[in-house]
Amino acid sequence: MSTLDPDKATAEQLAAGRIAPGPDVELGLADASLVDDPARRAPLVLNNRSFHEVTDIISGYTENKPGKWWWPVFGFTATVAGVGVLMILYLIFTGVGVWGLNNQVDWAWDITNFVFWIGIGHAGTLISAILCLFKQKWRTAINRSAEAMTIFAVICAGLFPAIHVGRIWFIWFVFPIPTYNYIWPNFRSPLLWDVFAVSTYFTVSLMFWYMGMIPDLAMLRDRAAKRLKHSPGVPRALPMLSIRADTIRLWVYGVLSVGWRFSSRHWHRYEKAYLILAGLATPLVLSVHSIVSMDFATAVLPGWHTTIFPPYFVAGAIFGGFAMVLFLLIPARELYPNMKDFITHRHLENMAKILLVTGSMVGFSYTMEFFIAWYSGNEYELFAFKNRATGPYWWAYWTMISCNVLSPQLFWIKRCRQHAGWVFLVALLVTIGMWFERFVIIVTSLHRAFLPGEWGMFFPTPVDILTFTGSCGIFLTLFLLFMRYLPIFAVAELKAVMPQADPHHHGDEDAGGPEPAAAKEPA
Amino acid sequence: MGRAAGVAGNGQRLWRSAEEFADTGEFREFLEREFPAGASRLVESSRRTFLRLMGASVALAGAATIPGCRRPDHTILPYSKNVPEEVIPGKPLYYATSLPIQGGGAEGLLVETHEGRPTKVEGNPLHPINRGKSSIWSQACVLDLYDPDRTMSVVYRGGAVEKSATWDDFRAWSLEHFAGYDASGGQGLAFLVEKKSSPTRAAIRDRIRARWPKADWVPFDACDSPSAVEGARIALGSPMAEVFDFTKARVVVSLDRNVLHGEAGSLRWARDFASTRRVKTTGDTMSRLYVVESGVTETGSQADHRLRLAPTRVAAFAVALAKEILANRRVRGSESLRRAVNAISDPGGGSLDRRFIEELAKDLMDSDHLGRSIIVAGPTQPPEVHALVHALNGALGNVGSTVRYRPIGADVAADSARGIAELSRRINGGQVSTLVVIGSNPVFNAPGDLDFGEKFKSVQTTICLSLDHNETESLATWSINAAHALESWGDAAAWDGTISPIQPMIAPLYDGVSDIELLDLIATRAKQDEWEQVKPDGHALVQATWRGRLGEAGFDKRWRRALHDGVISAGSDASAARIDYDAVAEAASRVRLVAGPGEGSLEVVFTPTAFGDGRLANNAWIQELPQFGTRIVWDNPALVSPATARRLGLEPDSYTVKEPKGHMARVSVNGRRIEMPVWILPGMADQTILLPMGLGRTVCGLVARKSGFNVFPLRESAGALAIGGAGLERIAGKYPISSTQNHWSMEGRTGILRQVDLAAWKKFGDDPFGDLDERGKEMLLRDAYGRERREMNFAERLGESAHSPANVSIYDNPFNESREGAAPGSRYAKRPQWGMSIDLSSCIGCGVCTIACQSENNIPVVGKKEVRKGREMTWIRVDRYYVGEELDDPSAVVSQPVTCQQCENAPCETVCPVNATVHGPEGLNEMVYNRCIGTRYCANNCPYKVRRFNFFDWSEQKFNGNYVGKDLMPGGGPENVNLIPPLVRERLDEISKMRMNPNVTVRSRGVMEKCTFCVQRLNAARVESKLQGLSDIPDGFVQSACQQACPADAISFGDLLDESSRVHEERASQLSYRLLGFLDTRPRLTYRTRVWNPNPRLVDQARRRTWDNPFGHGEGGHEESGGGEGHAFLFDSSKTARDRGYALSLRVLGAGVNA
Repeated sequence: MSTLDPDKATAEQLAAGRIAPGPDVELGLADASLVDDPARRAPLVLNNRSFHEVTDIISGYTENKPGKWWWPVFGFTATVAGVGVLMILYLIFTGVGVWGLNNQVDWAWDITNFVFWIGIGHAGTLISAILCLFKQKWRTAINRSAEAMTIFAVICAGLFPAIHVGRIWFIWFVFPIPTYNYIWPNFRSPLLWDVFAVSTYFTVSLMFWYMGMIPDLAMLRDRAAKRLKHSPGVPRALPMLSIRADTIRLWVYGVLSVGWRFSSRHWHRYEKAYLILAGLATPLVLSVHSIVSMDFATAVLPGWHTTIFPPYFVAGAIFGGFAMVLFLLIPARELYPNMKDFITHRHLENMAKILLVTGSMVGFSYTMEFFIAWYSGNEYELFAFKNRATGPYWWAYWTMISCNVLSPQLFWIKRCRQHAGWVFLVALLVTIGMWFERFVIIVTSLHRAFLPGEWGMFFPTPVDILTFTGSCGIFLTLFLLFMRYLPIFAVAELKAVMPQADPHHHGDEDAGGPEPAAAKEPA
Repeated sequence: MGRAAGVAGNGQRLWRSAEEFADTGEFREFLEREFPAGASRLVESSRRTFLRLMGASVALAGAATIPGCRRPDHTILPYSKNVPEEVIPGKPLYYATSLPIQGGGAEGLLVETHEGRPTKVEGNPLHPINRGKSSIWSQACVLDLYDPDRTMSVVYRGGAVEKSATWDDFRAWSLEHFAGYDASGGQGLAFLVEKKSSPTRAAIRDRIRARWPKADWVPFDACDSPSAVEGARIALGSPMAEVFDFTKARVVVSLDRNVLHGEAGSLRWARDFASTRRVKTTGDTMSRLYVVESGVTETGSQADHRLRLAPTRVAAFAVALAKEILANRRVRGSESLRRAVNAISDPGGGSLDRRFIEELAKDLMDSDHLGRSIIVAGPTQPPEVHALVHALNGALGNVGSTVRYRPIGADVAADSARGIAELSRRINGGQVSTLVVIGSNPVFNAPGDLDFGEKFKSVQTTICLSLDHNETESLATWSINAAHALESWGDAAAWDGTISPIQPMIAPLYDGVSDIELLDLIATRAKQDEWEQVKPDGHALVQATWRGRLGEAGFDKRWRRALHDGVISAGSDASAARIDYDAVAEAASRVRLVAGPGEGSLEVVFTPTAFGDGRLANNAWIQELPQFGTRIVWDNPALVSPATARRLGLEPDSYTVKEPKGHMARVSVNGRRIEMPVWILPGMADQTILLPMGLGRTVCGLVARKSGFNVFPLRESAGALAIGGAGLERIAGKYPISSTQNHWSMEGRTGILRQVDLAAWKKFGDDPFGDLDERGKEMLLRDAYGRERREMNFAERLGESAHSPANVSIYDNPFNESREGAAPGSRYAKRPQWGMSIDLSSCIGCGVCTIACQSENNIPVVGKKEVRKGREMTWIRVDRYYVGEELDDPSAVVSQPVTCQQCENAPCETVCPVNATVHGPEGLNEMVYNRCIGTRYCANNCPYKVRRFNFFDWSEQKFNGNYVGKDLMPGGGPENVNLIPPLVRERLDEISKMRMNPNVTVRSRGVMEKCTFCVQRLNAARVESKLQGLSDIPDGFVQSACQQACPADAISFGDLLDESSRVHEERASQLSYRLLGFLDTRPRLTYRTRVWNPNPRLVDQARRRTWDNPFGHGEGGHEESGGGEGHAFLFDSSKTARDRGYALSLRVLGAGVNA
């Protein structure tokens, strides 16, 4: 009986590849969500799914065996992450000198990576909080994974400032602990503001993510409990262990879902809290990267000392964050069965448009930097920018320009922004370009500063490279674990934007298809 | 304990058996079985052992006063007469001593010792050469003293066996051995000794000559050339040394001679020369320097007019100049010379700038300048040119005025190359059976055509006294470990004739013996069974010499006074000499000029380096001191001009690649060839190869290993330092080169190192806005927003401040009280407020400041590989910029020392998240090492890039050869230690730790560090001035290490609020500017604009225009502003006051300051 044995049902269905799609609108499009008719509202969930199917599909991602690709990919990312951890240990035991830094370029890949990851960490909260406040319904399909991505990116980001210091064992000096010799940290230092901004952002993002997940965790708990009751015996957590996987699920999800019982009162509280957190998180999205940018903007260095930095960094962060969301979700969409029903081409196109807008903002900033450098009449300032474009690191600058400014311009073409392949390619390029943007700002400004007598060069060492790839490994490993063990869609929110959630069918019959919900879903 | 047997730590003879007492052969064999080779070396010395030995020695010395203890049993006197008899722990004592310089000459030093260990060397204020200043060699000598790679014991190599022996073994053996030469009068006995101007050694030499008239005595210095001595012999009749008085000189001409740096008299000359270049008011005049040189030297960088010519063309230049001068200037007896010089034909005459020579000659013959000029010729020039230069000095009336002469001893005057060639010939003829080598390393650095290494091996018995493990010592039958100059007794004559005693600062760490002790042992005739009584004693030897010279009456008092002052006989015995023009004419008739090097036949020039003849190659401070011009460290590539490199396809990599490499090339001279990398040196003569001497050691300590290339094999026994007909061809392979500054140009940022011509200074110095009408002034003194700027001085109007908006904060920054003109009574209005000023006109770029700072502040070296990454740790660096449009022919080379500017409004302070760098009440930007977590944000935000980060545990660890993967290195064997990964370096041994200044924190890894203005000295001065009841710290009472060492006196440091202080006066000058002042960092370090004094008739129109408007906008151009008749070009009026403060600080100079 499929209702009482959801595991079996979904397992069967998944074994056949996918749950058979229901009847959908035939528009002659690759994807019905791309309907370009102002009279029709584009569907946010395709294939006329019922609530139950949605539950089954999404729960199935954590309850069923992953696809054959999962273990090799996970093994690879975990290995890369492991190498990264070894590199970090080597760094801590030996000294920061294992990186290629020197007395002219005192920050290089470390802070580049920090700003890169922090920037990526922007999209999640932006999607969840700002798009929530703006009542953008399409966010529901991507907000959970984007928030998870945020959390993991901020973890990677926080890693670098921590390990880049010379004496990590004294890093607690940065916290305002009144007991240490009565010496307070220096509240004038933007690096200290970073500590506060990033830790606040991480805390709020984590709460936001976790709180949003509680109903879905409870759903997984309940399904596990149901299975334990009705089909004893299989499957086990491990062949030799007598503990059943569902027992573990029951306990872990049970603890994590903190007593959620789907009561109206719970939902009421939940909605309120969600709104408050969204309100809290919204300014944080803008503040974190503004403050990170002040690390540079408050310095005296030509190329850093620029008032344009806060808005420019925020735009860049949103740009890079959305690119990373696309970079992760487009392959996931291919690899997970039925995910295309939730993440439609319309979603991709919306995000592509954001990339186009923010990419153009970033391009505008690059141009303004040059203009202002010329307009200032300051030879040091102008040199810093000329040196970016024509100096020894010209290749980094032009990589940045072509990836960040030129490649998103493809999205002026509709076919490109509606085509998952093109969108993925641009997202990949933008991710690379945003890393180079930070490299250009940091390294090319530092390596030729005021006194030509002290000009130098920076070259990364293998440890630099492996530490960065290691952080990518950590990020992807965490993300894969998230995809495997946590609900990767906000199920309740997703259901709320389905036509079935709106029993009055405000003239959306055509778009929403025939009335399937009542027929399919037993009350 | 180091000794196998025989002598206890105190030198008292102990014996364990009758056999030992009798010292029978059987017993010695028994001993060597029981204590295998090496057992007697003090290998695992620990500080504990050291102190125990010291303590035990002292106790025994007190009880029995037995000579030869580890602790010197002769009383040496502290430099101060006020210091209590007992050493106060924590307070350093200063002793005067002297350091012989390679090739003859000496420096007078004042050595700071902490509880018996010398840690820092300063110049002796009473010594006329030093006057408190010091050279890189004296600054670095403490590192040599504590070098763990020193020779630590006597080694005997009989047959194929290498055995550890003792000094006693050698004594016993030597008496018998040398007695064997008595019969033949020393036939077969030869001494190869380093050149030294020591009266005591000369006395022993005479004893040796008396005992063995037929023995060879060969003074040898691998880097010298006989031409100066020969030139003096021609012109003056006997070997004489020139003693210059630069303070009187108005025009100086250097013909390929680096007279301001690296010579035995350079310290004094640089100081005197700088004093004639320092302008204060617009009425002051300056001397003018013309330099014609093949390389790029410190002297050349000071030149108002500089020509780059190959050495053969420099000779032609000298001849042309002589023609010009002698044609117009007749003195008695010079007629024959004029004829002889006119007869010299120059096949390459067109390559010389006739106008330059004519104007130079006119300048020299200006009636104001007669008798007030100096012409010097360098070691690359043949003797005839030296003779001609003496004659020109005579003709210009300089002899007796600015140039005087003093006779030099036979050892210093000896022709090294001819001497060793003769010795070599005699060895070949089997006429040498015992060769004693003292302080020299001929197997490494003898001229290549002699093949001295093979010859040395063929000598039956060789004895070598050496401080470090070297090529000669490792082949000698007896290798004897020498005592360092800081460990031994001796005496030394400086270049001007001042004689100083050398007294030990510490007992020999490894029981080494000094050269005079070894020579005395050899010279002493005794029976073999008397060997116990024959104990050479340096102290007795030196005293005996001086007893004879000073006389018995009152000797003790005079001797103690000499030890106290560090000077035995002060003052120069130099005098005017008669120039023999006829002899010079005769020599001139032999001159055959050549057209100069061409494309097929280059000219090689052997140039001296800080490494000397190779003896300093194991000194890591010297290795990591950037070399002048190239700023290369740890290497000595062959240097060519950029044009020559381009022509030969030898252009090195740009520094923007990861490991900049130079091409390997083959340098060939007369059939001998060496392979070495090539690098470029802009500003040197084309078609010329500079070969820096001193590196490429093969048997050496860890530091010198695999660093550089040996160029001595190309030298010839003719002794010339410049040889024509050389070839340079590129061969396969490249070689990485590390340099601290690869970027040549100032990138048009002329505001960084400001320069102005004297004429412009005279015109605008008093009124920098004199060229502007009221409206123009209004515009310049108000910024674009109409806000008033601070009144700008002359130097500020030269830089960015005249062009950028006023840097006015719209906020009153509550955290920054440190503003100029602080309110009376406020924190920053209280004395002292420290500040520094660096005079760019004086700085010659020698780098003493860097090493002095390194020694004072325990700054680690990082090795070649880390320098290549840009991680050098020096707190004060000397930036070098080439001036001019093109690299092929730069118009000047200028130097700018840069250290922490101690900004009042410091960008580093605001950004540190943990308050590790904060502002002190005396205006210092203080670095709190304990608080630093190493974010490096401060260094990023420092516009001057003077902060240095400990990327690894540099200070705690030393280079060591044992590491994983060592055997995998190509070639195997001991590899360049600079390639060792830092993690596997070994902890510092106890001996190496002894050199550390106990008053300066040793920084761990992960910590930022930078110049502190020697805060430990400031604190000591504060305590001392309170103890002495002074209300404020007087000017000169405290000196920073860089200031104290600077030979040119370019750095002044002191209390800005002290109106009488020199730094106050310098900062008030119109020439004073702040580096990057437009950033509003308000540095406590200011620079004084460099002033040039070009010959108005030799400058082009463009430059002349700047005299009418040096400020970079507007044009103009009328006739030059006159020469000026000022007189005050020697500004040392305030020096006496400063010296008094300095004297107080050391508490050594009483009323008898004869400064």
